[in-house]
Amino acid sequence: MSSGITTSSSLESIDGVMQALAGAGYFADRPLATAVFLSLRLQRPLLLEGEPGVGKTELAKALSRVLQRDLIRLQCYDGMELRDALYEWNYSAQMLHMRAAEHVHAGSEGVQELEREIYQQRYLIKRPLLQALQAPLPGAVLLIDEVDRADEPFEAFLLEYLGEYQVSIPELGTIRAASTPVTILTSNRTRDLNDAVKRRCLYHWLDHPGRERELEILRTLVPQAGAALTEQVAQFVNRLRSQPFAGAFQRTPAIAESVEWARALVALDTLDLDPEVVTSTAGILFKQRDDVAALTQDLARELLAPAQAPS
Amino acid sequence: MNTPRSSLGDARSGKLPEQILALARALRRAGVPLDSSRIALACEAARLVGLARRDDLRCALQASLVSREQDRAVFAELFDAMFRNPDIANKLLAQMLPRTETRPTPPQRKPRTSEALSPPRESDKGRTPQSAKEDLLDLDAAMTASERQRLHHADFNALSASEFRLVERLAREIALPIPEYATRRMQPGSRGERPHWPGMLREAARHSGEPLRIPRLRRTRQALPLLVLVDVSGSMERYARLLLAFLHSATRGGAGTQGRRPRRHLRRDVFAFGTRLTDLTPAFALRDPDDMLEACNAAIDDFAGGTRLGESLATLRREHARRLTGQRTLVLMISDGLDTGEPGLLANELDWLCRNSRALLWLNPLLRFDGYAPLARGAAQLHSHADGMLAVHNLQSLDELAARIAQLLAGAPSRSNSGSSPRPRPHPQQVGRFQDT
Repeated sequence: MSSGITTSSSLESIDGVMQALAGAGYFADRPLATAVFLSLRLQRPLLLEGEPGVGKTELAKALSRVLQRDLIRLQCYDGMELRDALYEWNYSAQMLHMRAAEHVHAGSEGVQELEREIYQQRYLIKRPLLQALQAPLPGAVLLIDEVDRADEPFEAFLLEYLGEYQVSIPELGTIRAASTPVTILTSNRTRDLNDAVKRRCLYHWLDHPGRERELEILRTLVPQAGAALTEQVAQFVNRLRSQPFAGAFQRTPAIAESVEWARALVALDTLDLDPEVVTSTAGILFKQRDDVAALTQDLARELLAPAQAPS
Repeated sequence: MNTPRSSLGDARSGKLPEQILALARALRRAGVPLDSSRIALACEAARLVGLARRDDLRCALQASLVSREQDRAVFAELFDAMFRNPDIANKLLAQMLPRTETRPTPPQRKPRTSEALSPPRESDKGRTPQSAKEDLLDLDAAMTASERQRLHHADFNALSASEFRLVERLAREIALPIPEYATRRMQPGSRGERPHWPGMLREAARHSGEPLRIPRLRRTRQALPLLVLVDVSGSMERYARLLLAFLHSATRGGAGTQGRRPRRHLRRDVFAFGTRLTDLTPAFALRDPDDMLEACNAAIDDFAGGTRLGESLATLRREHARRLTGQRTLVLMISDGLDTGEPGLLANELDWLCRNSRALLWLNPLLRFDGYAPLARGAAQLHSHADGMLAVHNLQSLDELAARIAQLLAGAPSRSNSGSSPRPRPHPQQVGRFQDT
């Protein structure tokens, strides 16, 4: 494995990482920036866990913009097999080649030659993990998304991949990374991951953002919302999360939901939040019927009341 | 490297690796899985971020030493203790100054943290292989008389570090595989019982009509839904805590359980009953066992009271019947059967529960007494209704739990067509009769 990562000079400190990410439209808090900084410097994969919608996947996208590297994404799912993740032979092309070859030299001495010919790189369909290994310099950003959804055998395969950044293809031999890909793994914790996988990664738990960070995100992503509405949305969502009864909701709204909500409010020409608007658009904040029903007008009024805003 | 500040204590005088090692040791004592490669990684990370800012160092060490969300709180407390929290330092300083009148309150720590920070016991020093073996035995006898005595008086809402380790060990080593059933849904898979003809045609079409392989379909499998009913009456107090913690981690797929038990989509509802029924399912959704027990403690307002099993089951039927899905539910009832309610009501409710579940297993800690017979009224009712009676008072009995569950379910067919008529039941079996240690 070559020394690999060519971080731009702005990423040489934690502050630099924060600024660079902010420049790419991603507002990381300092702990997250520290984890990213270490992951880049130590060339270790970074495992991000957290509730859905807190920006795990977005971080990988932002990193690919900052580092100016291609983002290669592997979306994991139940029943995913290695040929979906790593490589597959292009059978039809191989077959065409063989048919064509039969016409050219019909003799039997060419059979072994023919077999050698069809196992070449050009008949290999590269899936994300192999693409990430063979990406041209300076390398790629590899996002292994929702790794908890994949089967356990896949995790076992990841051990070799994440530890050595190499894979073996029986017909071709071992393929090593020319440049270590910057690897981000995300998990929604539908199940706990194997300890061995975790040991190879740096770990960061991504929480809901603080009010200031959420404000910045909303300002950047929904600039047309205007200062007053943005402020109100951030305030409302933050208070909703911090209430003692927040645990009663099946899923509290994450950043993705508040951004979506702000966009919807802009589309509805809302200038000011009131209980009626909140309850009629609650379906954007919550994705569970019970949660939508739980956000009553009274509750919305209580959350919107300015007097209760000591923070 | 950078301008020093006062909050890092000894770290500045070149003792950083030692301190990281001490922190890692304390974390390990508190039950956080750590190996030496991670400690080396932590030292490297600390060197990279430098000592200029305490929170950077904390983040760097956390990213490299912690890999589970439930360990973050313990890490934060141990880090503060090891790297001299300025608040604690200020409090100590205030204590030393003359004319301080109020006594500073010691910081509230998780029991796991406190035990990890406490000095090792005498017996741990100068340990020989033999003493290590004795230590193991000591752990094995975790529910021996003195331990039980201690647990009896222990606070319900917190697990100490050793209990935490015990529970983790239980969850790790005592497999509790929930039996699975094959659902009606099929999905493509490399190994499957049925050929996937449409898939084969599609693939052949892509390869100039050559069928290169036959894709297969397999039934998706799902764990049986689980309904746990825990008796939290006075007589059960000492078991409820550890059993709750054990079931919490065993049915959640905690650390080290992977590879054996797929936990995906496991449906698990938990209720506590004493004089009334309390829904503990939201508490069980919390990851940290300490948080879970704390939430349970807050939710149960009749802890260590009497038992009114019949009434509690009636509440379950009235308000939560929907949770017993499709007669597949496996019911685990943890109780000693010492019921103070009305026996007639209990019999009716148990009838209903049996008709609406796949199997009812009675986990009875009283089985530890040799020659135990279910003579109490409630116990007699449970005995006649339950598909099996298992002991749950020590590790050995818990060890047999999973095997017995699998055995009973293999022997007891689904009740789907039993209707309301009484069906022949396998004779309740007693296992794991152990002498009271």
